[in-house]
Amino acid sequence: MSGFETYLTSRMTGPDSHTLASYKKHGGYVALERALKEMQPAEVTESVKASGLRGRGGAGFPTGLKWTFMPDPAKDPRSRYLAINADESEPGTCKDRVIMDEDPHGLLEGILLACYAMKCEASYIYVRGEYRHQYDRTVAALEEARAAGLVGKNILGSGFDCEIYMHKGAGAYICGEETGMMESLEGKRGHPRPKPPFPAGFGLWGQPTTVNNVETIFNVPFIVDKGPEWYRSMGVESSPGNFLVGISGNVNKPGVYEAPLGTNAKVLLEADHFAGGMTEGRKLKAWFTGGSSTGMMPGETVDVGMDHDSVKAAGTMLGTAAMIMLDDTQCVVRAMQIIARFYDHETCGQCSQCREGCQWLHQIFKRIEEGQGRDGDIDLLTSIGNGMAPGKTICALADAAAIPAHLMVKHFRADLEEHIRDGGCKINKTGKCAAGHSHKAPATEKAEAQA
Amino acid sequence: MTKITVNGRELEVDASKPLIAACDTAGIDVPRYCYHPGLEPVGSCRICQVEVSEGGRPPRVMAACRTQVSEGMVVNTEAAVAHDARRECLEFLLKNHPLDCPICDKAGECTLQDYSFQEQQAAGRSTEPRATLEKRVDLGEVIMLDQERCILCTRCVRFQEEVTKKPELTNAGLASNSYITTFAGRPLTGNYQGNLADVCPVGALTLKPFRFEARVWNLEKSSSTCAECSRGCSISVEVLRRGDVKRIRPVFNPDVNQWWMCDTGRFSFPKVNDAERLTGGLIASGDDLMGVTTGEAIRHAATVLTGTSKSALFASPFLTVEEAAEVKILGDSMGADLLFISPAANDLKDDLLHTGDPCPNRKGLEQAGFRAISAADAATMITGLDAAVLVGERILKLFAGHNLGTSKLVTFDTAACLASGVEACIAIPFYVEKAGTWINVDGNVGLLTIARPAPASVAPLERTLGELTTAMARSGAGV
Repeated sequence: MSGFETYLTSRMTGPDSHTLASYKKHGGYVALERALKEMQPAEVTESVKASGLRGRGGAGFPTGLKWTFMPDPAKDPRSRYLAINADESEPGTCKDRVIMDEDPHGLLEGILLACYAMKCEASYIYVRGEYRHQYDRTVAALEEARAAGLVGKNILGSGFDCEIYMHKGAGAYICGEETGMMESLEGKRGHPRPKPPFPAGFGLWGQPTTVNNVETIFNVPFIVDKGPEWYRSMGVESSPGNFLVGISGNVNKPGVYEAPLGTNAKVLLEADHFAGGMTEGRKLKAWFTGGSSTGMMPGETVDVGMDHDSVKAAGTMLGTAAMIMLDDTQCVVRAMQIIARFYDHETCGQCSQCREGCQWLHQIFKRIEEGQGRDGDIDLLTSIGNGMAPGKTICALADAAAIPAHLMVKHFRADLEEHIRDGGCKINKTGKCAAGHSHKAPATEKAEAQA
Repeated sequence: MTKITVNGRELEVDASKPLIAACDTAGIDVPRYCYHPGLEPVGSCRICQVEVSEGGRPPRVMAACRTQVSEGMVVNTEAAVAHDARRECLEFLLKNHPLDCPICDKAGECTLQDYSFQEQQAAGRSTEPRATLEKRVDLGEVIMLDQERCILCTRCVRFQEEVTKKPELTNAGLASNSYITTFAGRPLTGNYQGNLADVCPVGALTLKPFRFEARVWNLEKSSSTCAECSRGCSISVEVLRRGDVKRIRPVFNPDVNQWWMCDTGRFSFPKVNDAERLTGGLIASGDDLMGVTTGEAIRHAATVLTGTSKSALFASPFLTVEEAAEVKILGDSMGADLLFISPAANDLKDDLLHTGDPCPNRKGLEQAGFRAISAADAATMITGLDAAVLVGERILKLFAGHNLGTSKLVTFDTAACLASGVEACIAIPFYVEKAGTWINVDGNVGLLTIARPAPASVAPLERTLGELTTAMARSGAGV
């Protein structure tokens, strides 16, 4: 079929894949049992470290290394926590959703292993507020696991205690930032904390805390079960393993697919076992490599290996590997305006540059799109972006808002200039795109046809 | 202590404090909005960006309020990149600011103005419509909020959380629609609301009693000591054109009040803006009082006092140490006990500053040999005497409601005495019109300076008392 080993989706086989029975049938909780009986906590960490697993939440930080930042419990007797970031809010990203939907036990087993490795007494899963179904599925799985003695006191008779708590967000993107998420878990506004101190020293309620993404933790049981060498056999040297890539936009088969890291984006777009090509054979105009924050790249750049370093070399980031493909009937300025509106809406408003800058970027992109663009706007966009990032604010949201603006100016300057020169978006004015397709709302079209 | 270099100067600084505090102690000014030395730093306004180089690494621009000092750190607050970062930050902060400085009470002492001037960031490039928010949000008895002017530094929120421990303020809304508010719009409570206007770096939180009262550059500011309790907070008395005191604000004093003061003290200034005050002297004339010069009133008082055998002297707890020394001389010459009126403790006592004891110089008077007596006991004493001298600011108010009988009274106060036995009233200055010292509850010395000159016909109490002592000596000697 696809010519590579799949494991992430291997248990997502049917309508019951989320149940404990199905999970156990696929060898679930075997890794946990073995780790509790045969491995020291440090060995689990070593194993994850040796696997080269990198965080799947966007930054791609080595997971095992992150775990070693937790203070030594012998010297620091404070409570220790693991927080799972399931606040999947990046536009285009929908991979964690699949995991919680189809294989929540895999997540729970990963959490238990990570807690065992880091000697955490509890874990908190912060679920995006809109993920009601996924929340319910995970809660049901948690109850099953608890009933089976897999969560709580003396897990599997090993003497290891670990509690898992679920928390539902209220729909704020910024609560997906790790310190914003911790503030939110503590019942406060999701305003990211300045770093340092880092979560490993001062996290949830001031205790040592590690924050990991759902997909990252989901990889852990496989590594513990099959070993780091097996894990390193997949993907590329600097980014081993498989990843879940979410492909959306004007493609024939949008969806979440499993692929080895480093798979060429062109393959992901065109192969039949992936997205199956652009709709109606249209041309790729622009694409996001990994969610809205990574910005839009021109269609020609799609020939790139999807791993952290290759995408970085191409001038952007792998992010959450959420590819959004826009064909040549789409207006990139309009797409950018929507992205800018998103950040304007979602900045927490704490830092001056981000609060005002996100609004300013949105206002300018909106003006350009609506035909009110002026000479000098493009340079102003660059200058605003430079004022916001990099590293000028408490968290990376300002960077996430500035990068798409920078890439827009860099790669699609001609589109911006055309909009400014021609008084706005042709699609908006004529209701039709360059390829002659109607872009009017169906209701408007119907009313016009009747008239 | 940690050694760092700031702008080429080597400093030894406290490593537990952020870099901006180290700069402060060295007198190097770094702009700040969200940072306040009395509050936890949050690092959100980003105006305090300076160039920092640590451990030999290439320099970076960092927020000084969230940067921990480390050994060998090299800091340049004047680097071009730092100025650029601050200018960028200012342009963002002013993007939605209404720029209504001409009608803003903060204008003239607003750090948005100051830093814009200092960083030469006058013109913004934004042509977008400015945000329109609520301009008059009533936050209770003391504070009016203008949400448009607010730059969301959250100093006010943190003041309520950290200093008063009454977390009544919060920021609500998201992104550029964020605003400061109270829960469900409830009014603020407590005796420390006025500090919110002090911590606000812009004109968002203004004091209702000061709104549209004066332009701050017309205020003459003198440091003084608060009269409202025995804490004796260091204050700035701010007088408009040699006339009314328009505002009292706290002045940083690490030993007494830090950066804060209570509303009781802050809004006590109407007491010294009394248009009906006594200027000069009054003496009894038939059933009425007759206006005379201070000298005439003193001579009359001397005659009255030397003609009586049983007389006493009662001092006000508002006397300065220097005035008390003069009262002592008079008391000794009269053979009177040294007594001061001590009102009962009030219910304003709190954990922060207010002591509940309304006597600002209790300790100073006690050290000078004065003994406390209640107004009721003093009034009983007076009814059995031939004559009594009541000395000091507010002394007559302290006797209000007490029957002083028909004994002959000589008073030194800012107001006239209306008791039946009054023989002479001599005007004295308010505490904002005199120099002197008070000693607070912990033994700290509080200085009074002349914030406003007293009217020409009102002499300092030390002088009028001295003249009375001299006149009595002459009278007694039959001169």
